Amino acid sequence: MIPRHFQIAIMMLLLAIFISGVFIIQWRHREQSFTQQEASVVPVSPAPGGSQEKIQLLVAYDDDQALRWREAEVFMPVDRGLRAREAMRALLAQYVQRPSPHPMARGADIRNVYFLGADTLVIDTTAPFADGHPSGILLEEMTLASLIETISANVEGINKVKFLVEGKERETLAGHADLMCFYQTATVHELAQEFQ
Amino acid sequence: MRWTSRRFKALALTISTACVFAGGLKTGAYPQAPAASPSQQVAAPSASPADAAQNPAEKQKRMQTEFVVLIDASHGGDDRGVVFAPRIFEKDITLALARDLRRELEDRGIPVRLLRESDSNISLDRRAEIANEQRVGIYVALHAGFPGRGVRVYSPMASASIANKDANKDRFVPWESAQSASLERSKALAKTVSRELKKKNFDVSSLRAPLRPLNSILEPAIAVELSPEKGEIRSLESARRQNGVASAIASAIAQMRGQPGARP
Repeated sequence: MIPRHFQIAIMMLLLAIFISGVFIIQWRHREQSFTQQEASVVPVSPAPGGSQEKIQLLVAYDDDQALRWREAEVFMPVDRGLRAREAMRALLAQYVQRPSPHPMARGADIRNVYFLGADTLVIDTTAPFADGHPSGILLEEMTLASLIETISANVEGINKVKFLVEGKERETLAGHADLMCFYQTATVHELAQEFQ
Repeated sequence: MRWTSRRFKALALTISTACVFAGGLKTGAYPQAPAASPSQQVAAPSASPADAAQNPAEKQKRMQTEFVVLIDASHGGDDRGVVFAPRIFEKDITLALARDLRRELEDRGIPVRLLRESDSNISLDRRAEIANEQRVGIYVALHAGFPGRGVRVYSPMASASIANKDANKDRFVPWESAQSASLERSKALAKTVSRELKKKNFDVSSLRAPLRPLNSILEPAIAVELSPEKGEIRSLESARRQNGVASAIASAIAQMRGQPGARP
C-alpha cells in the first residue's frame, strides 16, 4: 500500500511535468513564429538607379537624452520617396539592434512612403514600430524627431510629414506623441536642435 | 472616418460657440457648457461647495468668470501608461501627483478640478473636450516617464495646422489647432513652472512636445513629466518629491493667474 502523502507527492510531480511540457511547447511555437516572420522578409531588388552613399542619420541616445548626427553608408535610390524610406530604414536598423542607443521592438520598420503633393510625405510604418515602442513623452518625441530630421537631411523639399501605422491613422505613437497631425519639418528641426 | 469625426467635433465646437453668441451670452470665444454637469468624470469645483444652493443663472455667471485649473492625471483604466515595475504604473503616479497638486492649489485659494478622480478610462479627445467645455483657465497634464531624472515641463509644439495662421482666421477652429491662440501663454506658463521647480532644486528641462491632447485645448496648456531618479523607480512614489513638484507647479500657476492676459 502506497502511503497517501507519497501519492500526493507523485501527483504533484506529474502535474509539474505536465505544466512544464505545455510551457515548453508554447515557447517553441513562439520562437518558431518569430523565425518564420524573419524568414518571410524577402529581400527586394534595389530600385533602378541609385548608388552607395554616405548619409546623415540623427540618432537618439536615451541615456544622454540627446540626438546626435552619425554617418552611415547606404544604397540610396534616385527616387525621393525611396530615398526617404532607405534613410529611415538605416536609422531604424540602429534602433532594433541590441544593444541599441534607443531600443525599439524587432520588426519596427517602414512599410511604405507616399507623397501628397510635392512637399508632404506620408510614412506608413509597421505595427511593431508603434505597438512595441516604449511609452514615454521624451522617448516617443525623440523617435519622431530623429526620423523626420533624418529625412530632411537626406531628401530635399519635404515640408510636412505624417505617420501611419499599418496603413491607418493612430492617435499616438505609444500613448503620448501625436500621430494624427502633420509635422512641419522646420518646427521639428528647431525641436531637434534643443536635443543636440 | 477619424478625420471626418474630428472635423465634425471642431465644427460642433464652433457651432456651439456660434449658438452662444446668438443667445447673447458674454462668453467670448468659449463654447457653452452644458447646463447640467458637463461630465461625470469631472469632479465638482472644489472651491464652491455651495453650488447646489445657487440658481442656474448665478452658477452660469460664476462659471464664465471663474479661473479654474484643470488637472489631468494622464492615462487611467486599461491605459496604464509607462510600466516602471510590475506594480508601478504611470497612471497611479499621475493620480497621486494630481491629488497633491489639487491640495496645493486649494491652499492658495485657486479653484481646481481633477479630470479623473479614479482609475477610469478617458480618451484623449474627451479630455480636451472636457477642458474646452469647462472653459478652464489653465490645463495641466501630469505624466511620468523614462529616461533621465528630474522633471520635464512641456509646452505644446505647433503642428502644421497650428502653424498655419490662415486656418484660424474665422471661428471654425480645427480640432488639432484649438491651442493656437494660447500657444504663447502656454510657453510662458511652462517657463514659470520650470523656474519654480528650479527654485526647489529639481533637475528641470523645458521642452516643446507634440503631445496629445495639448493642441486641442483652447486655453494655456502644459504637461509636466516626473522621471525617476537614476535607478530608483521608487523615487516616483516618494510623497516628499511629489509634494515638492506639486508645490512648485501651484506657485507658478498662482503667479500666472495675476498676469495680464490671464482669464479672471
